[in-house]
Amino acid sequence: MWRTGRKLVGTLWADRKARAGASILALFVLVAVLAPVLSPYSPTATSFARSAPASWSHPLGTTGSGQDALSQLLFGTRVSLLVGFGAGLAATSLAMLVGVVAGYVRGPLEVVLGFLTNLFLVIPGVPLMIVLAAYLPSRGVGTVLVVVSVTGWAWGARVLRAQTTTLASREFVAAARMAGEGTWRIVWHEIVPNMVSLLAASFFAASTAAVLAEAALEFLGLGNPATISWGTMLFWAENSNALLTGQWALLVAPGLCIALLASAMSLVNFGIDAIGNPKLRER
Amino acid sequence: MAGTPGELGAAGGRRGDGVGGSAPGGSGAPGVGAPGTDGTSSGSGGRDGAVADPQPAAPVVEGEPGGHPQRTQQPLLFASGLDVVYEPAGAPVVHAVRGVDLSIDPGEMVGLVGESGCGKSTLGYALTRLLRPPARITAGRVVFDGRDVTALDQGRLRTMRHRGFAVVLQSGMNALNPVRTIDGHFADVLRTHRRVRGAAARQVAEELLGHVELAPTVLDRFPHELSGGMRQRVVIALALALQPKLVVFDEPTTALDVLVQRAVMDTIARLQAEVGFSALVISHDLGLVLGTADRAWVMYAGRIVERRESAALAGAPLHPYSAALLACHGDPTADNVQLGGIPGSPPDLSVPPQGCSFAPRCWMKEPVCRNDPPERVIGTGTVACHLAPRKLVVPRALEATVLASTAGGMGVGQNSTDGTATYDGRAALSAGPGPGASDGPALSPGAAAAPDGAAWAVRRRRSLERVEPEALVLQDVVKQFRTARRTGGRAGGRADGAWPGVGRARSSTVRAVDGVSLSLEPGHAVGLVGASGSGKTTLGRMMAGMDRPSSGTIRLGGLRVETMRSRDLPRYWQRVQMVFQDPYAGLNPVHTVGYAIGRALRNHQRLRDDRLRSELHRLLEVVGLTPSGQFSAKLPHQLSGGQRQRVVIARALAAKPQVLVADEPVSMLDVSLRAGILRLLDELRRDTGVSLLYITHDLLSARLVTDHLLVLQKGRVVESGPTASVLRSPSHSYTKQLIEAIPVVA
Ligand SMILES: Nc1ncnc2c1ncn2[C@@H]1O[C@H](COP(=O)(O)OP(=O)(O)O)[C@@H](O)[C@H]1O
Ligand code: SF4
Ligand SMILES: [Mg+2]
Repeated sequence: MWRTGRKLVGTLWADRKARAGASILALFVLVAVLAPVLSPYSPTATSFARSAPASWSHPLGTTGSGQDALSQLLFGTRVSLLVGFGAGLAATSLAMLVGVVAGYVRGPLEVVLGFLTNLFLVIPGVPLMIVLAAYLPSRGVGTVLVVVSVTGWAWGARVLRAQTTTLASREFVAAARMAGEGTWRIVWHEIVPNMVSLLAASFFAASTAAVLAEAALEFLGLGNPATISWGTMLFWAENSNALLTGQWALLVAPGLCIALLASAMSLVNFGIDAIGNPKLRER
Repeated sequence: MAGTPGELGAAGGRRGDGVGGSAPGGSGAPGVGAPGTDGTSSGSGGRDGAVADPQPAAPVVEGEPGGHPQRTQQPLLFASGLDVVYEPAGAPVVHAVRGVDLSIDPGEMVGLVGESGCGKSTLGYALTRLLRPPARITAGRVVFDGRDVTALDQGRLRTMRHRGFAVVLQSGMNALNPVRTIDGHFADVLRTHRRVRGAAARQVAEELLGHVELAPTVLDRFPHELSGGMRQRVVIALALALQPKLVVFDEPTTALDVLVQRAVMDTIARLQAEVGFSALVISHDLGLVLGTADRAWVMYAGRIVERRESAALAGAPLHPYSAALLACHGDPTADNVQLGGIPGSPPDLSVPPQGCSFAPRCWMKEPVCRNDPPERVIGTGTVACHLAPRKLVVPRALEATVLASTAGGMGVGQNSTDGTATYDGRAALSAGPGPGASDGPALSPGAAAAPDGAAWAVRRRRSLERVEPEALVLQDVVKQFRTARRTGGRAGGRADGAWPGVGRARSSTVRAVDGVSLSLEPGHAVGLVGASGSGKTTLGRMMAGMDRPSSGTIRLGGLRVETMRSRDLPRYWQRVQMVFQDPYAGLNPVHTVGYAIGRALRNHQRLRDDRLRSELHRLLEVVGLTPSGQFSAKLPHQLSGGQRQRVVIARALAAKPQVLVADEPVSMLDVSLRAGILRLLDELRRDTGVSLLYITHDLLSARLVTDHLLVLQKGRVVESGPTASVLRSPSHSYTKQLIEAIPVVA
């Protein structure tokens, strides 16, 4: 697992698109970590002139309630990355558990898990997300994370299930059985390590979706408006008619960041695709 | 038009002089460009362009001795000084084809042979401009029908596809679009390349299918409804739809079983003669090529090391490599059967060769071989060996004779008369140290090193004391599969997906195994032969406890497969193990050799730590993977096919089984590697007393490693008896067919 993971990273680095994506991602991570250092002000300080246009002291201007927009943008990276990677991880774990088990075991469990997966696939994600977010009691980042994970695992589960079924019919699995390996050992040590690139792909796909979903939920006001994130920035900008006051930067900057982060993740995924798809890989 | 000094033309004479008529297959006979005729009838058959084009009038052959004997006839295709490299990103450059000169005449059939990785496919693709990056032609040129193809752009190249060259790939039969009918495939090709549509296209398609001996009804089928042989015929017919002048067949029958293979090759030969196209048949099977082609080229490490008339090559090969390849074939019905193998593997083509590239594997090498051998003209052919034309005697790796007394442990016993495989013609059960196993690590670390093979024998005996060896007894075993879909689903290593009845009876049940009884006595080797779809694998899987019989009993002592619960299976697997067919699918790509074998040792023998490690190393040495320390850390992709199969065998041995079920263990390997694996299985049986069920469609290997043979047809045993006598005097017509399908070499 560790070895294939390392190989994966090596191959990814050789791919131009993936390298570009990874570099952008790394930059975002750096910004998120160093946000307190990089930000000129506290993102929550409301001590500035309201709705001020861009200036040397406030490169992106200030918000309707007098906060520095650049500082908000920098700190907002944290929430987007947290929700993106967190929900990506959660959704992929769920997808792996359901998909691999459904793909390997036979009998009622397989049927139940398959039904569950299909159910979540046919329920339209965005309305479900809105309903969940609207009815859940708390509205913090954690809620958004849960909502996005719950709605985002099914696709990955289906892909992983199909892959598990193919791998399970390979001779090395039969050989492992004959070598006396138990079911769990076969699943975790024989099958799953052969799906590293697929797992990575579902992780990045789920993360991309999560970043977008988080922004959408916040923008619709379904998150906690007090959180500092790109989504809430959009929400407040919209609320204070930023476009009418000529403060387009308040909408464009977070929008661009969301698009850039999502694209970076997709770029990395292109590279992973190329690894998983032998047609693209040569021989 | 001789581009080479006259002496070559003179020395070489006209190829085909006096030989053409006797060439096996006789495919060149009628009509177009008969290769057997004297070359003076230039462009016989009136092929346009061949004579008219002034540009490449003289086939320039670079580096003089590297040339081939000149012919006066204008070749359909010729190449000179062809160099092809692979330039993969982040990996060393592979020089897959070096300085190859060749020519193919109109209407002739040339075979290209060599082990995998010698550059055959690369050369075939280069000739037809099918190379894709990272491959690139770096030098030389290819002239087809008067035009320099190396310089053509893609647009012009596409027009060459019609009435130019066509390629039939081994994977072609799997590349048919699963959701389109065969009719659809033909419609596409005919529309784009010949502008024929509708009813006319259908008619042409039916005609083409007729050529490859398929009924018109095939047009309405989907690819998965056809057997492998039928699919391959469809692919050939599709290639012919382009009305090509040259067809390159890359391993056209490798994935098919013997009977189908023979039939497809016959079709190709007949078509080639009737339709009159030229053909280049690429194969790793020398026997197949010699049986059909007029001329044969032997390729090694990117060069053509020998090119001769097929008959001449079969009779007296001049290059050690050709001789060694030839020695990998034999007649299983002979009194004395010997099998050669070529130790080692083809060189890494990313490393520039130092002198003769065959030298590391050559048993004849001399100091002069440190220099690159030039291609020398001998008779009507060429050879790239310093010592040619010296007489060659190939060392043999494995042999079987009819006389039991002289054949060591592999003799054929006499006392088997009933339908079950019982007989005793074997040497002592626990022989001493095997030849391959010596001075390994001792039983426990720190103890004085004991001769390892002896330790194995001792422990073997101890384990035999623990569990008294018992026969594996099958009685009236039947296996039914409900629908065609289900049987096709777990095709495993099934090359030919064809099951008896599939396609005909869609809903009813299929009896893959139909009432088989046999008894595999301790220490004996029973062969199970039959075409694909005859139920061999299904029977083997049941005997290995991977499947349950629908009815009948399979017993090993007190263990009964038919009623066993899955939690008891590991106990069965401690005594019965399986060697899988596909060495590439049998090992998990993410685990090291040490892990794969180590896990089996842990589970079955409950070994840990140092004991486990020393046993692991011992096993690796038993299967000939030395130095064992190095091999245990390797990942499967770092091993060759033969080495992988040794790992698979070592893993099976880790359970110290009494019975090994080997399902076509060598069919995916190059012929050169087969002898090694077969000898290993044979030695194991003699040294450790394990009994062997050897499943194969290759009668030669069955003759070499088994003493009793069962012939399976449609799930039933149609013939059984001592191997040699079944093969030498078959009574059932099906057995006779199998024997006739063997390509005759020499
Ligand atoms: N896409 C590729 N990239 C790098 N090396 C390759 C590639 N394809 C083939 N090779 C190398 O080229 C050599 C010749 O291969 P090939 O033409 O397939 O031989 P053959 O058909 O005789 O088996 C081998 O050493 C092989 O490893
Ligand atoms: S040149 Fe030497 S090493 Fe090469 S094949 Fe001939 S005898 Fe063997
Ligand atoms: Mg090839």
